Amino acid sequence: MPQFEAVVTIELKPDILDPAGEATGHVLQQLGYPLEQLRIGRHITLTVQAADVAQAERLVGEMAQNLLANPVMETYQVQVKAG
Amino acid sequence: MKIGVVTFPGSNCDADTLEALSVIGVPVRHLFHEERDLDDLDAVILPGGFSYGDYLRSGALAAKAPVMRSLWVAVQTRQLPVLGICNGFQILTEAGLLPGSLRANAHGEFRCAWQTVRVTAASALFPGLSAGELLRLPIAHGEGAYYVASGELGQLFGDHEAWLQYVDDQGMLSVWANPNGSVANIAGVMRGSVAALMPHPERAMMAELGSTDGRRLLQAWVDGVRGRTFHAS
Amino acid sequence: MRAEEVGLSRREYEKIVELMKRPPNDLELGLFGALWSEHCSYKSTKALLAGLPHSGADVVQGPGENAGVVRLSDDVEVAFKVESHNHPSSVEPVQGAATGVGGILRDIIAMGARPVALADMLRFGTDEASQRLRAGVVRGIGLYANAIGIPTVTGDIGFADTYRSNPLVNVLAVGIRAPNHRINASTACPQHYLVLLGQRTGRDGIHGASLLASRDFTHSSEDLRPTVQVGDPFLGKLLMEATLEAVLGGFVAALQDLGAAGLTSAVAELCHSSGVGADLWLDRVPLRQQGLSAYEIMLSETQERMLMAVGAEHLDAVIQICKRWDIPATVIGQATASDDLRLLQDGVEVGCVKPRWLVADAPRRSVARAWWDGLDQSGAHRRVDPPMFSSELLLKVLGHPDVRDRASVYSQYDSMIQTNTVYGPEHEVSVLRVKQQAAGLALAVCGSGRWAALDPYAGASAVVLLALARIAAQGGEPLGLTDGVNAGNPDNQASYEATAALVRGLADAARACQVPITGGNVSLHNETDSQAIWPTLMIGALGRHPHPLRPVGEALPEAGAQLFLINPAPPDWGGSVAAELVSELCTYPHPSLQKAHHVLTTMQHWARREHPGSVRTIGVGGLAATLVRFLAVSRPELGIDIQIAEPGADKTGRFYNEAPLQWVVVVASDQVLALQEYWDRAHIAIVPLGVVTDDATLTVDKRYRWTRSDLLGVWRRS
Repeated sequence: MPQFEAVVTIELKPDILDPAGEATGHVLQQLGYPLEQLRIGRHITLTVQAADVAQAERLVGEMAQNLLANPVMETYQVQVKAG
Repeated sequence: MKIGVVTFPGSNCDADTLEALSVIGVPVRHLFHEERDLDDLDAVILPGGFSYGDYLRSGALAAKAPVMRSLWVAVQTRQLPVLGICNGFQILTEAGLLPGSLRANAHGEFRCAWQTVRVTAASALFPGLSAGELLRLPIAHGEGAYYVASGELGQLFGDHEAWLQYVDDQGMLSVWANPNGSVANIAGVMRGSVAALMPHPERAMMAELGSTDGRRLLQAWVDGVRGRTFHAS
Repeated sequence: MRAEEVGLSRREYEKIVELMKRPPNDLELGLFGALWSEHCSYKSTKALLAGLPHSGADVVQGPGENAGVVRLSDDVEVAFKVESHNHPSSVEPVQGAATGVGGILRDIIAMGARPVALADMLRFGTDEASQRLRAGVVRGIGLYANAIGIPTVTGDIGFADTYRSNPLVNVLAVGIRAPNHRINASTACPQHYLVLLGQRTGRDGIHGASLLASRDFTHSSEDLRPTVQVGDPFLGKLLMEATLEAVLGGFVAALQDLGAAGLTSAVAELCHSSGVGADLWLDRVPLRQQGLSAYEIMLSETQERMLMAVGAEHLDAVIQICKRWDIPATVIGQATASDDLRLLQDGVEVGCVKPRWLVADAPRRSVARAWWDGLDQSGAHRRVDPPMFSSELLLKVLGHPDVRDRASVYSQYDSMIQTNTVYGPEHEVSVLRVKQQAAGLALAVCGSGRWAALDPYAGASAVVLLALARIAAQGGEPLGLTDGVNAGNPDNQASYEATAALVRGLADAARACQVPITGGNVSLHNETDSQAIWPTLMIGALGRHPHPLRPVGEALPEAGAQLFLINPAPPDWGGSVAAELVSELCTYPHPSLQKAHHVLTTMQHWARREHPGSVRTIGVGGLAATLVRFLAVSRPELGIDIQIAEPGADKTGRFYNEAPLQWVVVVASDQVLALQEYWDRAHIAIVPLGVVTDDATLTVDKRYRWTRSDLLGVWRRS
């Protein structure tokens, strides 16, 4: 079966407080950078076996929903590169 | 002689460290992360805690605090002795004052426990401690797995910079005695006048609380600072 | 907006109109909805809780404030309280538990006390999903407690199917203060500025605690769940330091933390306790996001916030302190001499209510005196006789998750920071020194679990006795209790009666032992699809330790020492782990409260002696588990050889019986006579059990043998 590289980008939902982002942004502001806002997410790369791009997207989407992201607090995006 | 103890936002072992130094009987100055003037100090301790919440990477944000710039200059120009404990260790590696870095514990959890460590070699920074000496100290950290690129490990041991290692109660080095996945069981590193360790000596100051080995370690370090100050004056 | 949308009944709505003499606008209705919720108003349980004993010689502050306070010495007062975060932890275990820790710490700080200890009391289901939930909750507690730097010194954990959809996360905090730094929410005066400290307000958990924790879960309640609140221990630490520095400086007139129902609750409580009104300038509240409505600002449950009343002359000092600790501090209103809470946005009044309406006037469920007086038993009575003694059962009991070693949980918590922990979580009671004081603290926590499953009255009173027995085993003088009541839906009559019986058991036991209850927490609606949890009482007992640097031992001294069972109960194994494993859940023995005070003080005075020997309290797992715990902390060559006098099935009953107020005492042979005389003189039974050996084996009746390593292997397997 062909392999596909995928990237899952996970971010906190906009209304959810991001303490790490707040603290990091605050330090950058103190260092003099003209920073407006900073939010921290996660970037996960995977290689999966699938019949085609559509199946790979479905598989990775499932993984994101079931484990990689916390749907209570986070949103995710899946990008699959054509094998 | 005067020793400075730095409070970063989120430091939480600063009070325990100040108290430990008062038990040893050393004059101290408590300073805040924004201070820049260290001229009156003969040594500085960066205590444990969660500076800036350990956000981004533990120690990374504190390493950018104003006091760290002054500390860097003092280490380069007058070899100021610095001791980093736990989060202080993490800050010193992030600031480039010590080699390597501290990663999340291999088992993925915070771990608080009593741990035996062994001094690998005698050093001028800790004149009271001899090679092979065992110390029983508390550990309490989530990111304590010491890491250096494999090429640097030889130098760390060759130059006795890896000065403290996790061992079992009998003093044997083994993977079972390693509480966090540190490379070569490294619990403490020193370079030049800067030393650091993950365990908490300030919590092992009296037998009723489990051990007095922390007192021996801090006393040795203070003796080293005192000897330096004496020779310099 | 309709009353139902904010969780109010038609009758409650009519009461609001009657109080206001007009219909409320949407904002005002939202305020009532939050503060008249079960979670904030205690409308179902206030009358039940009125039956609890609150007074005692050492009580400085009883219930009604953010935390109870007792006197340790002339120089030190101790604030302590338990809080639940069950519903939020079920939705998001890590953040739910973390914000629970943050919340109870702010309650302690709001009394002007510096937190010195935490304890966790947890209940989970037994399936896979519950194990993931447990991992998340433990992680969340550590995440907050470790980072803010408060040691978690003791805890209690239990598992049963009944908690599968409704886990329990109760957290207890202890803090100390000097008597001249007393502060609470009741001392604000007109003209004082209201200063909001800490995190900027966002859309976190609008109606979170009020609605979420005041309704049952159903499979369709997903979308009711509000935006999850995220805890920030880093900001919490800065907020704690700034608040305590301002209190120590004498700059703060009154103090209140922001918890459930956010600003609404904080302002209303502060005004009501102080007997003042207030103008609140909502446009000045610092926001994390643009475009929050007045409704959202008033009901947001953003964490890490405190409200202070500050006189004009001290305002600069407070602002400077906050600046140094780098936390926002903003004047958002002013106390007034009226009795109105006026909400203003850009100068326009958008709502006006009396704090009393919100805090004190919610319609409450009343309790019929005769019904309450008759409530000393409840539930079905089911007795199962134990089987003949066998050697297989012990390993099963030791491997039961309620009996097993708790190290995999507590090693994730920093238990040593602040360098006061003499006895930490590996002990059955925590002992803390208090710097510069001769007396220290003894802290014991436990929860009822299956003891209260069938007879909540018996289970609740036994839990009180167990906690106090552990304090007594250290020679500690009990100062007070804090209670966490966790139960089902109060509108369901069976759940309500179980809750009432639980509270009645608590009240009777505390009264019998002459120990005041200085504060606590009630969490109802722990019910999913009409399945309520076992009514569960979590108890924290605080004692004054006479010599904290020399705690009473919990290890076997040396071979030849002798073991005694103090105050043996009838060999009834009802409600025990063993009974559940072998047959089925059966009724816990009804504890006798008559002699409880005498038995406790007799143990307390024994344990204060120069050479009391080693003492352990019998609890979950019975005598069997107690003996194994002795072995676990003793030198590896030591063993125990006991004889059980009871024949046949009663031997099993004796070995696994979990009745409270029983101890195992181990003394050197030259102390045996003194020990026996002492207990005989007090007319309390003392039974010789056997001797300490050097064969690293547990032996019963010369016939049943287990090696120490087999026993500990099972006990420690996580």
